[in-house]
Amino acid sequence: MACGSDDSTTSAGGSGDEAKETVTIAQASQPDFLDPALSYTIHGWEPMWTVYMPLLTYQREEGAAGAELMPGLAEAMPKVSNGGKTYELTLRDGVKYSDGTPVKASDFEHAIKRVLNLESGGAPYYEVIEGADDYLSGGNADADISGIETDDKTGEITINLTAPESAFSFVLAMNFASLVPGDTPFKNMTNDPIPGVGPYMFTKSVPNREFVLEKNPNFTDETVPGVTTANIGTVKTVINPSVPQQTQDVINNELDFMEEPPAADFIAEILERFGPEGSEEQRYKEFTTLSTYYFFLNQRVAPFDDPKVREAVNYGLDKPALARLFAGTLEPGCSFLPPEMPGYSESLDTGECPWGDPNEAPDLKKAQQMIKEAGAEGAKVTVWGDNVDPTPAVTQAYADQLNEMGLDAEPKIVDGGVYFQTIGNEKTAAQTGFLNWFGDFPHPANFFFLVDGASIQPTNNQNMSNVDDPHINKELAALGEEPDLTKVTDRWEALNEYLVDKAFIAPYGYRKLSTFMSERMNFADCTPINPVIYNDYSQWCLK
Amino acid sequence: MGADREEAGAGGTEFTLDAPEELAHDPLERPGLGPWKLTWRRLRRDKVALAAGLVFLLIVAACLAAPLWADHVAETTPEANHLSDKVTIDGKSTDVVDLLGKPIGPTWSDHFFLGADKNGRDIMVRLLYGGRNSLMIGLAGALGTIAVGLVLGLVAGYYRGRADSAIRAVLDVIWAFPVVLLGVALGVALALGGISIGPIQIAGNSLLIPTMIIAIAYIPYLARPVRGQALALREREFVEAARAQGMGSLRIVFAEVLPNVASTLVVFLPLLVANAILLEASLSFLGAGVQPPNPSWGTMIAEGVDRIVTAPHLVIVPGAMLALSVLSLNIFGEGVRDALDPKARVRIEH
Repeated sequence: MACGSDDSTTSAGGSGDEAKETVTIAQASQPDFLDPALSYTIHGWEPMWTVYMPLLTYQREEGAAGAELMPGLAEAMPKVSNGGKTYELTLRDGVKYSDGTPVKASDFEHAIKRVLNLESGGAPYYEVIEGADDYLSGGNADADISGIETDDKTGEITINLTAPESAFSFVLAMNFASLVPGDTPFKNMTNDPIPGVGPYMFTKSVPNREFVLEKNPNFTDETVPGVTTANIGTVKTVINPSVPQQTQDVINNELDFMEEPPAADFIAEILERFGPEGSEEQRYKEFTTLSTYYFFLNQRVAPFDDPKVREAVNYGLDKPALARLFAGTLEPGCSFLPPEMPGYSESLDTGECPWGDPNEAPDLKKAQQMIKEAGAEGAKVTVWGDNVDPTPAVTQAYADQLNEMGLDAEPKIVDGGVYFQTIGNEKTAAQTGFLNWFGDFPHPANFFFLVDGASIQPTNNQNMSNVDDPHINKELAALGEEPDLTKVTDRWEALNEYLVDKAFIAPYGYRKLSTFMSERMNFADCTPINPVIYNDYSQWCLK
Repeated sequence: MGADREEAGAGGTEFTLDAPEELAHDPLERPGLGPWKLTWRRLRRDKVALAAGLVFLLIVAACLAAPLWADHVAETTPEANHLSDKVTIDGKSTDVVDLLGKPIGPTWSDHFFLGADKNGRDIMVRLLYGGRNSLMIGLAGALGTIAVGLVLGLVAGYYRGRADSAIRAVLDVIWAFPVVLLGVALGVALALGGISIGPIQIAGNSLLIPTMIIAIAYIPYLARPVRGQALALREREFVEAARAQGMGSLRIVFAEVLPNVASTLVVFLPLLVANAILLEASLSFLGAGVQPPNPSWGTMIAEGVDRIVTAPHLVIVPGAMLALSVLSLNIFGEGVRDALDPKARVRIEH
C-alpha cells in the first residue's frame, strides 16, 4: 500500500499525497487501441487487463499457476457438452460496470458482435461460433448471432460452436471477449474508453499523449474472487517515443515504469546497479514470455522447396550469435513451442535438438556440404525483415549466415507497418525471413495455426513457410477436438518434435521481457509477473 | 550586362550568380591570359582551399583503396558478421560483440582498427566501403543533376514560351517539396519494389535508386539559375551575331550559350556534390537511401545511434568522415568560386 517517503514527493507522480497515489509510466507509442474489441498488442492488453473482464480469466499468480484459467464474470468454469461444441456459463450476480450500469448476460453477445463487426484482429477466434459467418455476411450490426443464447434474468449464457475447439475456453478469456455495456457503439472507442469491470477504469484518453487509469469505485475484492482491488489510486501512462529517454527517466526516478525493455545501451548498467536479485536496490528483472523467434522457410519457393536446404539452414544457424543482437534478452532454443507452453519439448533445448545444441556454435561444414549436395550453392535468396529494432540487425546477420552456408543471400528490410502484409501475400513469394510469435494464450494450438495447412491463404497469410504436411494437418484436426489439454500434452509434444525434425521452419530462441521501475515502487513485494498478462498494474504498490 | 539574380526555393535555397566576365579588376589578370589559367593562378594563392581539396582527395583515395585494406589488413568484408568471434588485444582474448550486444571499440590494430558495429562488422572496412558508396552517389547524383538541370535550364531560358512554361511548372512542382521530404518519399516508395518501367529494371537495394533520387531532388536548384543565365545570354551581341550568320537554335544553345555557363557549372559541382553527400546521408539515416547491408556513412550513423552511450565510435567515426568530406568540399568549392569570380556569391542553403 502507499506509504511514500520524502523522495516520492519529488518523483514522477507530482507532489504530496497525490504523488503517493499516482504512478507515471511510459509507452513508446500509443497502444493500437484502447478498446477491448480491437486491441491486439501487449501495449493495449496490459492496461486493459485491469479495466475489462471476460467470462473467464487467468489466476493472478506468477509461474505456471498464472496460466490456469478461473471464472471471471462467469460464476464457474463452463460446462462443455455436445462433443465439445456447447459451452454453458452463468453470469455472476450483482456485478456493475465502472459507471454503475449493471452487467447483463446479453452484454457478452454484444461484445462478440463488436469484435466481428469491427473486423478486429481477434475476430477469427470467434468465427467458430455458430451463426458468426451469417452475422458477418448479413451486414446488420444489431442482428443476432444464432450460436449465442443469453438470458438476462437468469444470467445464463450458452455458446454453440460449429466444430469442437479445444482452445475455446482460452478464447473466452481473451480481452476481446470482455463484457461491455449493451449500448456500446459499433466503432473504435479509443478516444472515449468504454466502462468495464476491473480494478481500474479509464478516466482520460488523449491519443498519442496520455491515458489515465483510476480506481474503479464499483469493483471490490468480492466482485471477482481472486482479483483484488488496485493498490495505487492512479496510473498515468504518457507516450514518449524515446526509449533511451524513458530509460534515463526511470534510472533517475522521474518515471515509475517503462513498458518497453530498457534501451540496449543501458542494459549493462541497469543489470549491475538494479538487477541483483534480492538486493534492496533491485528494480529490474527479466522474465520469459510465451514467445518463439524463428525464420520461415517458404516450401513453395526454391531453394527451400528442397528439404535438404531447409535442414542445412537449421544445421548452419548460429543461434548464440543471433542472441547477442538481443542484448541478452533472447534465450537460444530449438523448439517451436516455447518453455512454459504445454507441449514444449525441453529435451530439444538440452542436447536432443536434431540440428545441434542451440547454445553452441553451428555445424557450418555440414550445412555447406548439404547445400552443395542439394545443388543450391549460389542460389539467390532474399531475406525479409522489418525495420523495428533489432530485426534489421538480425535479418542482416541471418543473411550473412546463409552466405556462409553457400547461398547468395541479401537482406530486404521493409517498414514494420507493411511487413506482414507484404510477406503474407503469395505474389511476393517471400523465400525466408524474420518472424516471431507471442502466444495469445497458453495453448499450443495458438502457435500451431502458424504451420497448419488449413490456414494458408493468398493474402494476409500467417503460415509463411506454407507448411502443408499431412501428418501435422491430421494431428491438428484431431487435437482440436480434445477440450482437455492435459490429456493430449504428449501428442502436442510429439507434434512439436516432428515439426522441428522436418525443418519446416528455423526456430532460434525465446524472448525475455523485463520490468524496470523507479525506486519508490515496492519492487520486491508487488511486481508479480503473470505468464499471460505479464505486468499487472493493479497489484503494484509503493514502498 | 550579366545576370545578377537571386532565387529562393521552398526549402530556402538561394542562388546568386554572376557571369564570369563581370570579374573585378584583379592584379593577376593580364592581357592574353585565358580565364581557366587565371582561375588556376587565383586558386593557387588560396592555400586553405588547396589544403581542403587535398584532404578531400585523400579521403577519395582512401575509399578507393577499401578493398586493399579489407583483403590484406582487416581480412574481412564490409558485410561479414563476426558476432561470435574473438579478437586478441594486448594478449587478451576479447569478444567482438559481448553477450549484452556491446561491440568492441577501436583496437588500433589490423583487425577492427576502429572497432566493430553491433553485428560485429569491422567499422574501418565499412567506413571505407561506405565512403565509396557515399562519394559515388554524391558525385553521380550531382552529375545527374547537372546533366538534366543544364539541358532543362538552357532549353527553358533560350526558347522561352511554351517550353519555358512547361519546364518551369515541372521545376516548381519539385521545388515545392523540401529536398529531404521529397527524397524520403521517393526513397521509401522505391526501396521496396525498385523501378520497373518496361525493359528498365532496377532493384530496390540498388545504389542507382538513391543516386536518381538525389539527382531529381536538386534539378530545380541548378536548372533555375541556368535558365536565368540563358535568358540573359540569348540577348547578348554574340548570340545575335550567331543568329545573323544563320546558325540554328540548337547549335547556338550548345556552341554559344553553353560555354558561357560552364564556369557556373564548375562552381556548382563541388557544392552540389557536398550537398548530395549530405542528402544521401540523411536519406540513408532515415532508411530511404542505401539499403543494408550495403554500408554508407548515413546508414552507419543510423545503425549506431541506439548504442551511442556505450559505443560512441559507431556514430562518431562515420559522422566525422561525413563532416570532414563535406567541409573540405565546401571550402574547396568556395575557393574555386572565388578563383573563377571573386564577386560571386553562389551557395546552396537548405
